[in-house]
Amino acid sequence: MNVLQRLQAFFAILGHYPSYILAYFFETLFMIIFVTVMLIVMIYLFRKYMARVQLRIGPNRVGKFGSLQLIADALKLVGKESILPRKRDDLPYRVAPIVVFLGLIMAFAIIPYGDFYYIGSLTVTHSNVSLLLLFAAIAIMPIGEVLAGVSSNNKYAVIGALRGVAKDISFEVPMMMSVLALVMMASARTSEPLNLTNLISVQSIPYGIPQIIGLGVFFIAMVARASYSPFDMSESDSELVSGHSIEYSGMRFGMFYMGMFGSIFLGSMIVSLLYLGGYNGPFSGDAGFIYLLIKAMILVIISFTIWLSVPRIRIDKFVNMGWKYLLPAAVINLVIAGILTLGLSL
Amino acid sequence: MVVPDTAQDTSKDWVELNIGPQHPSTHGVLRLKVKLDGEIVKDVEPIIGYLHRNAEKLCEMDYYCDALVYFDRMDYVGAMNMELGYLEAAEKLLGIPPPERAQWIRVVMAELSRIASHLVWAGAFGLDLGMLTPFFYCFIEREKVLRIFTAVSGSRQQTNYMSIGGVYQDIDDQIIYDIEQFTEEFPKKLEEIFNTFVKNDIFISRNKGIGILEPEVAIQYGVTGPMLRASGIEYDVRKAEPYLVYDKINFDIPVSYKKDNLARFLVRFEEMRQSVKIIKQAIKKIPDGPYFNPKAKKSLMIRLRGEGEVYARTESSKGEFGVYLVGDGGVKPYRVHVRSPALKNLSVLPVLAKDVMIADLFAISGTIDLVFGEVDR
Repeated sequence: MNVLQRLQAFFAILGHYPSYILAYFFETLFMIIFVTVMLIVMIYLFRKYMARVQLRIGPNRVGKFGSLQLIADALKLVGKESILPRKRDDLPYRVAPIVVFLGLIMAFAIIPYGDFYYIGSLTVTHSNVSLLLLFAAIAIMPIGEVLAGVSSNNKYAVIGALRGVAKDISFEVPMMMSVLALVMMASARTSEPLNLTNLISVQSIPYGIPQIIGLGVFFIAMVARASYSPFDMSESDSELVSGHSIEYSGMRFGMFYMGMFGSIFLGSMIVSLLYLGGYNGPFSGDAGFIYLLIKAMILVIISFTIWLSVPRIRIDKFVNMGWKYLLPAAVINLVIAGILTLGLSL
Repeated sequence: MVVPDTAQDTSKDWVELNIGPQHPSTHGVLRLKVKLDGEIVKDVEPIIGYLHRNAEKLCEMDYYCDALVYFDRMDYVGAMNMELGYLEAAEKLLGIPPPERAQWIRVVMAELSRIASHLVWAGAFGLDLGMLTPFFYCFIEREKVLRIFTAVSGSRQQTNYMSIGGVYQDIDDQIIYDIEQFTEEFPKKLEEIFNTFVKNDIFISRNKGIGILEPEVAIQYGVTGPMLRASGIEYDVRKAEPYLVYDKINFDIPVSYKKDNLARFLVRFEEMRQSVKIIKQAIKKIPDGPYFNPKAKKSLMIRLRGEGEVYARTESSKGEFGVYLVGDGGVKPYRVHVRSPALKNLSVLPVLAKDVMIADLFAISGTIDLVFGEVDR
């Protein structure tokens, strides 16, 4: 019994439809609170980890060990004046950060979280094609970035948006190819391989082991999606200042910032769900959620390490890599998956 | 959708992009007017003058000994070399040679300053390429140099340590011990920093074959210093026209024939290793004796008079730093002119950054090692 059903049962006295509407509303609210708390934890972790790597101390003034620093920062961002460029295209300019954040939240609503003792699963959407829905939701985020780039009437932002589009096209095709291989392998075991819950439950061994190439391709794609170094061409500080989000300030900028860290967390969650067995693990009956979080946080730390240690790749080289290396690798992975599915019926 | 203004004019097939003077990777206040065709830089025009402080004219309005502070503020990341450049000229004009001990101390300080300057460059170059971490490693090492400077002069960056006819105060055994300690520990740390850069394939691919500077072009534009040596010309004022006691010290001039960004990077790192070698030799050879020429003692300093004209050149961390002084017999110089190496090196940027991508433009401008206090003066 997951949280949604519990909530629906709680509101059942109001009738069938109102109870479901309220259940979905509160469920989404819980999920957003969970994501926001995770983001704050992650940003704190990032700042402390970055300080450790760079032989600094990091935030240590606000609260014990600087633990309240992020809350102070968030309050500061909310309180700041949002400076709007005069010649902006108003509607897209205002909508863009919301689109980015909405895509992120939608993606988190689709992910299966696994059980957590008495509370149950946090998952909001239960669909038979949740895998497709998930990638559709992820594909919304670049739209917000492009909108932000072209509507803020700034050349840096336009170049950033152009780079973002070039980047997205070159990594999304290999990404979907590697996901296709997963569906192929799962289809041997289940009749609904597009359902994320089924896809995870049929992983007798984590798919990352037979599909190590696919795991690599997918992880690189997720790094590019979250656009941190080495793939932060579209918002490179030292060239385009901050690319598409250059004209944003205050909480609008905060939404882009949260969108970026949210993408790192989302990417880690998806990689650990699809390739590392998700919430499965020894004795994971009631504690699947914790397994998922541990796997995701390990990936987050790996992401931070990559972020802090490599320089930025050039956009033409990234496009080159996407089409010439990632795509063939994804195809090879697909062939291997086919052979494994037919021959060994994994 | 709002189309950028410049794109509405269909007669142009390029977009003009204004970079700086406030921009994360212009190293201060460089402004670049860039003609862009998509991602390709068609033309770039550096515009300088945003940090102009009229230092040369201010020097002419002050006594010979006071002009030093303006030189401190030229190349502020390697101030000792600037002081040295001025004093080489001023002492020649005034006829007050520094004693032996002061000369050796000056060599040590100048080389420490070169290390400090190159470390700032290396960190900032990493930032230009999007590497966040090496910046801090570089600055931690630089901090050790600055502590030595604080111990000898009382100041971190604008040291004002050397003075006409010697140095401002003597160095004691503790400082010598600190410097020796630094030269023992620094090479290991330097290799660590070096490896964080060169053991990274992306770093190599961003720099290899980018920004090729042909030696003929370099000579035409008056490029000096590590940039010239990375283009395959073995020219260093310390060897070509030794000043102080550089002719008594055994060291090599690093040269690379690859001519690209990576070559300039490697040359600068090798220079730091050579600087350590120089300091190690010099610190042992510092003789006993006076640390300043009694003709230039503090009570007499503002009464120093010089006549004639001199041009003195030294090898600063950026290149050949020349100071031209004219005295008319008064207590103040008649004319002070500075040949700034960073300015000459910057002038070659439009040649280097022709038909490169935007990302490479910043990689190239990063290898020039610009310090705007010196370019604008």
